[in-house]
Amino acid sequence: MNAIAIGALSTTLGPHAPTRAAGRRMTSCAGSTGPDGATFSGCIVRIAERGDRDAFACLFNHFAPRVKSYLIRLGAVPEAAEELAQETLLTVWRRAAAFDPARAAASTWIFTIARNLRIDLARRDGRVPTSDDSELSEAPARPDDALSALENYTRIGIAVASLPREQAQVISLAFFADKAHSEIAGELGLPLGTVKSRLRLAMARLRGALAEIAP
Amino acid sequence: MIPQHHPTETLLVDYGTGALDRNARLVVAGHLGVCESCRRVVAEIEELGGALLAALAPAPLQPDALDMALARIERPAPVAITSTAPNDWIAVPWEVIEAARTRRRWAAPGVWVAPIARGPGKARGYLLGIAAGMGVPRHTHRGAEMICVLKGAYRDGDALHRPGDFAWNDETVEHQPRITSDGECVCLVAAGGPLVPRDWMGRIFQPLVGI
Ligand SMILES: [Zn+2]
Repeated sequence: MNAIAIGALSTTLGPHAPTRAAGRRMTSCAGSTGPDGATFSGCIVRIAERGDRDAFACLFNHFAPRVKSYLIRLGAVPEAAEELAQETLLTVWRRAAAFDPARAAASTWIFTIARNLRIDLARRDGRVPTSDDSELSEAPARPDDALSALENYTRIGIAVASLPREQAQVISLAFFADKAHSEIAGELGLPLGTVKSRLRLAMARLRGALAEIAP
Repeated sequence: MIPQHHPTETLLVDYGTGALDRNARLVVAGHLGVCESCRRVVAEIEELGGALLAALAPAPLQPDALDMALARIERPAPVAITSTAPNDWIAVPWEVIEAARTRRRWAAPGVWVAPIARGPGKARGYLLGIAAGMGVPRHTHRGAEMICVLKGAYRDGDALHRPGDFAWNDETVEHQPRITSDGECVCLVAAGGPLVPRDWMGRIFQPLVGI
């Protein structure tokens, strides 16, 4: 176990910690702790098949606050993050028929929608509106913070926490700081090859953890 | 047709994590549409992204967030854009088709362009159609340029680039691609900056495609 440590996970959840329960209107298809992906897939299928609003509420309650969290970590101001989270879930509703539960998990599909919306709505200078630039430029200096926001009871949270620090760092920069390989290398003052191999190692480990989660 | 020229693994990871700008994302998406093996690489990264997303501590929403969302789905959804790619193109995202439909213009005899999006910075995304047999003047690049062939083919040195093939040319590449004689070639291009001409032809060509 390394030290972006589980202890840190619970103490440094930071300004975006879940002070209120995410699921005010929690419906039957999600439990309060780490509901399984198959159920969320079922929600999307129910939206596609019969425009099921309860299924939508269930997905919304679980994913919208997490998409908002993801976007804030990437530097969006909370208002913009919330608007994009809304848009992401509305896109889930509109495109539900295109979702294939055999090909991707619900979380995977929703991640790609949020990722693409964020890129497409970025301003001309390439960013979504950020609270202020100093905060943005500061973010990469604390790459572990983003990962510290992972909920430690999830398997993937535990797996990330067990990564060697330098591997966790590149994962964090890649997913939560909007950094291309070349920028990560510059940021950390490392050769590109080193960044690539660290990222590859980290991904291989996390894939192993994911394989355990999959049914 | 299985593409012969692929994005690097590095680029696929950047695509999966969301580090590519919109134009670059579209060009890589064009390739992924026809390339099973690259799709597999990206799918693994996206699966990881999904797992990380699902594991993030939630940020609290406005109290009425769900009600607002439910109200918005009451309204009729925006009419889906139904335009489809020309039959002889590989499948591309709708914004590419829209660009071809609405913003296509002749830039020179035998050459048309259709801008897709500008920015960030000097970055440009555009469609480029060049007539059979034409050569693109010898040039280098300011910043990297990504290309995916949508239709037809071009030759760059010994390499033949056909539909779905991907190319990345950076500052170090000085080349003089030529369209094959079979027919028009249409490419989806994301460029980090304008072409840097190396001869008089290029100086004419550049302002024409410089969009
Ligand atoms: Zn490929």
